[in-house]
Amino acid sequence: MAVRPIPAGIAYADDSDRRASRSRTWRKLGRNPAAVLGVMILLGVVGAALAAPWITPHDPAKQSLIRRFTPPVWATGGNSAYPLGTDQVGRDVLSRIIHGARISLLVGVLAVVVSVLVGVTLGLVSGFLGGRIDTVIMTAVDITWSFPQILLALAFVAALGPSLVTVILVLGFTGWERYARVVRAEVLALREKDFIEAARAMGIGSARILARHILPNTFSSIVVLSTLQVAQAILQEAALSFLGVGSGRTYPTWGQMIALGRDFVSVAWWLPTFPGLAILATVLAINLVGDRLRDALDPRV
Amino acid sequence: MSPFLVRRLVRLVVVVLGVSLVTFAILHASGDPVSLMMPEAPEADRAVLRQALGLHDPLPVQFARFVGNTVTGNFGKSFFHHGQSASALVLERMPTTLLLTVLSMTLALMVALPVGIYSAVRRGRTVDQLATGTVFLGQSMPVFWTGIMLILLFGVQWRVLPVSGWDSWAAVLLPTATLSTFTAPLLLRIVRSSMLEVIGLDYVRTARAKGVSESLVIWRHALKNAALPLVTVTGLQFGLLLGGAVITETVFAIPGVGRLIVGAIRQLDFPVVQAGVFMLAMIVVSVNVMVDVLYLYLNPQIRIR
Amino acid sequence: MKRWCALALGVLALAGAASPAAAQAKDALVVALVSHAPTLDPHMHFERVGILVNINMFDSLLHKNRKLEYEPSLATSWKTLNDTTWEFKLRKGVKFHNGDLMTAEDVKFSFDRVLEPGKEKKKSPQYGNIRAIKEVRIVDADTIHLVTDKPFPLLLERLVFFPIVPKKHIEKVGDEAFGTTATVGTGPWKFVEWKRDQHIRLEAFDGHWRGKPAFKNLIIRNIPEVATQIAEIKTGGVDLIRNVSADLVPELKSHAQTYVSSAPILRVHYVELDMREAPFDKKAVRQAANYAVDKQAIIQKLMGGLGQQVATVVQPPTFGFEPEVKPFPYDPKKARELLAQAGYPNGVDITLHSAFVEFRPIFEAITQMLTEVGIRVNARMWDPGPAWNKFLQAEGKATNGYYGSWGNYSVFDADAVLHPLYHTEPGGWIGKWYTRVEGLDKLIDEGRSTLNQAQRKRTYSQIQKLIREETPGIFLFTQYDTLAISKRVDYAARGDEWLWLFDAKPKR
Repeated sequence: MAVRPIPAGIAYADDSDRRASRSRTWRKLGRNPAAVLGVMILLGVVGAALAAPWITPHDPAKQSLIRRFTPPVWATGGNSAYPLGTDQVGRDVLSRIIHGARISLLVGVLAVVVSVLVGVTLGLVSGFLGGRIDTVIMTAVDITWSFPQILLALAFVAALGPSLVTVILVLGFTGWERYARVVRAEVLALREKDFIEAARAMGIGSARILARHILPNTFSSIVVLSTLQVAQAILQEAALSFLGVGSGRTYPTWGQMIALGRDFVSVAWWLPTFPGLAILATVLAINLVGDRLRDALDPRV
Repeated sequence: MSPFLVRRLVRLVVVVLGVSLVTFAILHASGDPVSLMMPEAPEADRAVLRQALGLHDPLPVQFARFVGNTVTGNFGKSFFHHGQSASALVLERMPTTLLLTVLSMTLALMVALPVGIYSAVRRGRTVDQLATGTVFLGQSMPVFWTGIMLILLFGVQWRVLPVSGWDSWAAVLLPTATLSTFTAPLLLRIVRSSMLEVIGLDYVRTARAKGVSESLVIWRHALKNAALPLVTVTGLQFGLLLGGAVITETVFAIPGVGRLIVGAIRQLDFPVVQAGVFMLAMIVVSVNVMVDVLYLYLNPQIRIR
Repeated sequence: MKRWCALALGVLALAGAASPAAAQAKDALVVALVSHAPTLDPHMHFERVGILVNINMFDSLLHKNRKLEYEPSLATSWKTLNDTTWEFKLRKGVKFHNGDLMTAEDVKFSFDRVLEPGKEKKKSPQYGNIRAIKEVRIVDADTIHLVTDKPFPLLLERLVFFPIVPKKHIEKVGDEAFGTTATVGTGPWKFVEWKRDQHIRLEAFDGHWRGKPAFKNLIIRNIPEVATQIAEIKTGGVDLIRNVSADLVPELKSHAQTYVSSAPILRVHYVELDMREAPFDKKAVRQAANYAVDKQAIIQKLMGGLGQQVATVVQPPTFGFEPEVKPFPYDPKKARELLAQAGYPNGVDITLHSAFVEFRPIFEAITQMLTEVGIRVNARMWDPGPAWNKFLQAEGKATNGYYGSWGNYSVFDADAVLHPLYHTEPGGWIGKWYTRVEGLDKLIDEGRSTLNQAQRKRTYSQIQKLIREETPGIFLFTQYDTLAISKRVDYAARGDEWLWLFDAKPKR
C-alpha cells in the first residue's frame, strides 16, 4: 500500500481544543445555505420514515385493479385520493414512497453500520498492531476494492436468494475498506504521539488507549465517510434492483420502485420519476451536508 | 524504488489470487451450473456432464486446477457458450468496456477541472454553489435511471443521438455521458479542495506579488497540487467505474465485459465469471500500481518546489 | 505535457481496438431480442430466442402456415405405414446456403446427430423431444422412413421444428464452427456475421426453394433492456419487437411510427399447488383458491383483454382440448365457505413463489385476491437465476405453490403440456413433487401411446375432467403474443409465437 500524503493533520493535543473546533464546525455549517437545505430535506425524509405507519394515506400494499395507472392529481384523469398516482396494480404511489423512505434508509443505514463495525475494527487493529496482521488486513482491503463491487453483490444475492438482509450484508461487506484505511492512517499518525506514550507508560492497556484516545480522533472522518456511504448504499441498492436482484418483497425500496417502473416510463412517467426524485433529493441532501461536514471536519478524506 | 516495486507486484499477485478465491467460493456456493443447464434431465445424465466439466472433484482440487490453468492463461471453456474459450470471450469484450470507462473518465475530468477550479476561485458565491450542485445532481440518481432519461431526451424526444448500440461514434456519446455523471462529482471535489488548499499558500501569494498573472498562477501552480490526488483518486475510482459500466452496458445494449459477467453469474458459467473477474481485478490492481508509481514519480517534484 | 501525450496516444490505440462497428446496411429488417442463444446450431440449444433465429436460417420437414396448418417443407408428403413407421417424400432440388444439394443423407444425418444411436450420453438438449424415434431409414433418394419405438402421436408436431443440417459441411468444419461462424442451412436467410451481445446479421439467400424474401438483410439485435427496445422502435432503430407488455400497447398503437399485432398463443399461466402439505392437501381448499381469483378481471385489467381463461392447463387450440370442461367462475363467497368447511374458518397463511418477472403485477394481483378470501399469501418474487434454480431443485420445502407458465414449445397437443407438468417421470418438477392425483400418470401414458385420434381425444377428455375435479392447481389463462412493428414493415403475429420473417414485407 503506497503512502498517501497526510498533510499536517488535525491532531488534537487534548480534549478542549477538540471541543472548540467542533462548535466552530456547527457554526460554519449554519452559515451555508446549501447545507441547511440539505439538513432540512434529510429531516423531512427521516421524519417520513419514522412516521410512516401514521402518515401514509393508503395501505402501500392495497391493490385496486380499477385504479391502475391513475396519473398524479394535477394531470388529466388524476384523482385527489392518489396525489402522486397509482402503479400497475393500483397501489398508491405516495404511500409507497413514504414507506420506501423507511426501507431505503434502513438499508442504507444498516449497510453503513455493518461497514463501520467491520472497517473501524479492522482499521484500528491493523494500525495499532502493525506487522503481519497489518499486511493481512491491508491485503484484504485491496482485495475488497479490486473486486468490481456490483458483481460481488450480484454473485452473493444470486447465491443466497433475494432478501433485504442479504442486500444489507452485501453492501456492508463491500464498503468497509474506506473506514479501515482512514482509521488505520489516523492510528499510524497518532500512535507515536507523546500523550499516547505517556498513557502506555502509565500502564493503560491497549484497548483503552484505542477507545479513549485514538478512536475519538477518527470520529470526524468516520462521520463524513458514513454520511456519504448512506447515499451510496441507496444508489447501489437501486442498481441491484435494476439487475433484478432486489429484495423481492411487497414493500419496495425507492430503487426497486424505479426498477419496476422503468419499463412503463412512456405510459406512466410518474412511476419511476417520483421515487427517482425521492432518491435524488435524499442523496443530494446527504451529499451537500456530508460535503460541508467534510470541509469543516476533515478535508483530507 | 526497486524493492518497493517488487513488493507492489507481489501484492498484485496476492490480491488477484484473493479475488479469484473469493469468486470461486461464491460461485460454488451459488449452486449447480449443471442443473441450470439441464433442468429437466435425470440425475444420471447430469452426473456425466459434471464429470466432463470437472465439477465433481473436491473443491481444493478444483481450485488448484484453476490456479494452475490461470497461470497459463487458460480459464477453460464457457459452460453456456458452447465450446468458446472463456478467456477469448472476455478478451473480445474488454476493449469495449475499457474504452467506455476511459472515455467516461476523460469526459468527467474535462468537466471537473474547469468547474472545480472556477468554484474554488469563486468560492462561496452562488456560482460555486450552483456549479457544484449541478455536478452533484448527476451523482444523485441511479446510473440506470440517468441512462434511461438521457435516452428519452436525446434519443426519443430530440432524436439527435442513437438510442443504443455501439456501432458508431455517435452511439458512444450517451453511455459515456451517463457513466461520467457517476465520477465527475468526486473528481470535482478533489480539484476544488486541492485548489483551495493551495490558493492561500505562501508561494502562490509570492508569485502574485511578483506580478505573475492570476490565471497563470492558478493553472500552473495550483493545478500541480491537484494532479497528485486526482491521479490517486482516478485509480481508486476505476473499480467503482467498472461497476457503473456494467449497468450502462445493459441499458445501452453495449457488448462489454460487464454485461457478459452479469449474464455469466446468472447462468453460473463458472469459467467466464472467473476469467472476467480475474481480468477486471488485474486491470484495477495494475492501474493502481501504475498510480502508485506515478505518484512516487510526481511527489519529489512537488516537495522540491 | 509528455505524460498527457502518452495518455492520449494510449486512448487512441484503445479506440482503434474497440472501434464501434460499421453502421447497419440499408434495405434491412431489424428485429430486437432480449438475448441470443449461446449457439446458432439448431440442435444444441433449446432457447426460444435461438429458435426464432434458427427458423429463418433452416428448414424442417414440415412447416406451419399462418393458420397453423401443416404445410410441406422439405418433405412434400407423408403418411403412416403402420403404427410405428412413417414415410416422408423429400423435396427435390433444395440447395443449402453453400450450394450443396439437400439429400436424404442430410436428413438422416440431422436426426442421428441428435439421437446419437448407440451412445450413452447425448449431446443435444433436444434429445428428449424426439427420443421416441428409434431409427431413420433411407429408402431411396427421395424417401425416408422414421421408425418409432412406440406409437408416437406427436411426431408431426415435433417435426415442424426439427431443422435439417448439411452433413458434408458439418463433417468438414466441425460442430463448434458450425454453431458460431459457419452456419449453413436451407432457409430463406443465410449467415453473414455474429457479433456476440450485439447482433446477428443475415442476408437473403438467392437459391431458396420458396423464392427470395422481401428484405435483403435481416439483422437481429441483442437489446436486453425493455425501455431501450421501446425507444429504438419509436425512433426507427428497430423494426420489430416482441413480448410487448399489455400496458405499453395503447401507446405503441397510437404512435406515428408503429403498430401492434397480437395473436393468442399456447403459453398458459397457472399456479401449481403443493398437495403434500396443508392446506392444499385438501381439495376444498384448492377449489377455494380457484374461486377466489377473478381471472376475467386480471385478463381485462392487467392484460388489456389479451388473454383467455382456461379450465385446466390444456389450451384451447391444442389437439385434445375438451370444451365441455368449464373454468371455475369467480365466487369469493363460495371460496370462503369452502375454506370454512375444510377447517379454516379464520383463514390460513401460505407462501407462494414466482420467478415470472414480466408478469409480476399478475402475481401480485393473484396473491391479493387470495388474501381477500382468507388465504393470506406471503408472496416471494425471485430473479430467475441460480438461487431460483437451487430452490426448484430442492424438494420444495416451505412453499405452498408457485406461479409460472408453459408454452409447449409450440406443440399443439395436450400431451405437450400434460406430460411435462403432471407426469411423475423426470421432466416434471411439478409432477415429481407437487401433484398427487390418482391415476393421472396412467391416463397420460395412454394418451400418448396410440395414433388413434378419436381414442386420444377421449383419453384427454377424461384427463381434463379429472384435473378439473381434483384441482391440483389454480388454473388461470392463456396469453397473447404481442409484437410492436414499425409502420414500414407488414407482418402479423402468429399463434405459435414464431417470427417467420419470410412473410414480412415492406409497406408502401
